[in-house]
Amino acid sequence: MDISTRLAPGLCLKNPILSASGTFAYGEEFSRMFDLSLLGGVVTKGISLLPKEGNPTPRVCETPCGMLNAIGLENIGIDAFIAEKLPFLCTFDTEVIVNFFGTDEDEYVQMAQRLNIDGVSAIEMNVSCPNIKKGGIEFGKDPKILNRLVAQVRKSTTKPLIVKLSPMVTNIGEMALAAQEGGADALTCSNTYPAMAIDENTWKPILGNITGGLSGPAIKPIALRIVWEVSRQAAIPVIASGGATSWRDVVQFLLAGASAVEIGSFSLRDPLCFGAIIQGLIRYMQNNGLESITEIIGRLKTA
Amino acid sequence: MEDCNALVKDNRQVARDTYLMTLACELSPFTPGQFLMLRLTGSCEPFLRRPLAILSCREGAVELLYKVKGRGTSLLAGKQKGEELSALGPLGKGFSDPRPDEEAVYIAGGTGLPPILAMAERIGRGHMIIGAYTKDDIPLWQRMQDIRGVEITAATEDGSMGMRGVATQALDDLLKKLQPPCVIYACGPAGMLKAAASLAKGFGARCEVSIEERMACGFGVCSACVVRTTTGNQRVCIQGPVFDAADIEWGQ
Repeated sequence: MDISTRLAPGLCLKNPILSASGTFAYGEEFSRMFDLSLLGGVVTKGISLLPKEGNPTPRVCETPCGMLNAIGLENIGIDAFIAEKLPFLCTFDTEVIVNFFGTDEDEYVQMAQRLNIDGVSAIEMNVSCPNIKKGGIEFGKDPKILNRLVAQVRKSTTKPLIVKLSPMVTNIGEMALAAQEGGADALTCSNTYPAMAIDENTWKPILGNITGGLSGPAIKPIALRIVWEVSRQAAIPVIASGGATSWRDVVQFLLAGASAVEIGSFSLRDPLCFGAIIQGLIRYMQNNGLESITEIIGRLKTA
Repeated sequence: MEDCNALVKDNRQVARDTYLMTLACELSPFTPGQFLMLRLTGSCEPFLRRPLAILSCREGAVELLYKVKGRGTSLLAGKQKGEELSALGPLGKGFSDPRPDEEAVYIAGGTGLPPILAMAERIGRGHMIIGAYTKDDIPLWQRMQDIRGVEITAATEDGSMGMRGVATQALDDLLKKLQPPCVIYACGPAGMLKAAASLAKGFGARCEVSIEERMACGFGVCSACVVRTTTGNQRVCIQGPVFDAADIEWGQ
């Protein structure tokens, strides 16, 4: 049976299960609980040129079947990442996908150049964080701006380039095509949804940042729809991200057109879920006589 | 650290809104201040685990003391003998032992009792202060009295038990009677910790505080539960919850 999946020239995952950016840090903590080599790939926390402190606390809040976060992209910066975190990730037999962001075009380009090094399997470009003032979602809202940014980054790296889209647009297919034409190899669909929580006793917002991003099983039906819409329009592979918790969810995302699936918020609750999801997918394929996951990807029956 | 099945052996109310739960669970040895992330159900509701400090752990029995404050702890209070939970831990960094020459002072307020009581029981010498609004909020009073070598003082804001006032007033009174070197272990509301840190500084005592912050994962990956320290943000769940009070930027 073949559960490998191809995301770009030179980027083939041994299985379609990835961690998601922001819920896996730089892999060290999870590596104490399971062997990271079982993953198709690790997607790191979003990295910026300079270290970033993030937002005031409280930074998270539970919601029905999900959670809000407003971490604010706290990270150690590219220098410390390359010196302290990347060598460790490279000791595992898995693809290392580095998520990154910038506050302007020049920073995105510099980040792509800095990450064009051995040990980095691919880069995932974040143009969709709802929790920071600069460098987040505004690059992912306008197709012209996105296309230009992706094209600039494309010229700066030989690595497979994945663009993580924002769901907060009127026409996500248009954004997907803008990224594809800019030279993206694959698309991650998608980031969290801007949302908020209020304490009716104190009359105050619960999050220090007032608003945050909604994630978890609560958003899975929306993520499924987005993956389906984007994969019908874009010619490049789609990586699903949004509320997956089980092998069933993974199969559904594959049917909708995803070539791989990121597991995010659920791994905060069940850090050992990755192995069970991969095993569940293998059993599902065995039970259904499927030889390759390409027999599932995009095979949704709509007629 | 592992994710262990934990069977509820006992779960009973021991003070107003406060419960003592005993779980059958094979944990690695713990240090007071360390905690468990408890998964309350097999479904996605509630979505996140709940962090609870470990009160004791011996021979496969883990005690947790918790106050019902929200949805998670309400659910927990309804758990019956024989129900199964999942426990990730022990997590975080606990209190350090007192040096042989140090007098040990333990101070707890609000929901801060479990790690403090755990520490007093482990060390078995020194002075312990428990602060509460009223007598009915103080659990396990007899158990605290039974710790040989530890002198217990209660401080209640309404004066219904022990001295009238807050825990840090009792700490101030106590420190006036003690000679350095001394170490203070504190857990409770932010205001209490800040006041305890300030008293410790004035007295020249070492002070370790166990900090509470909203968590999602509990094992260091999400960066939700940060606290400001002199060396930048630190994650309460993995770099704490116990910190040297001198390293915390207390703010306003």
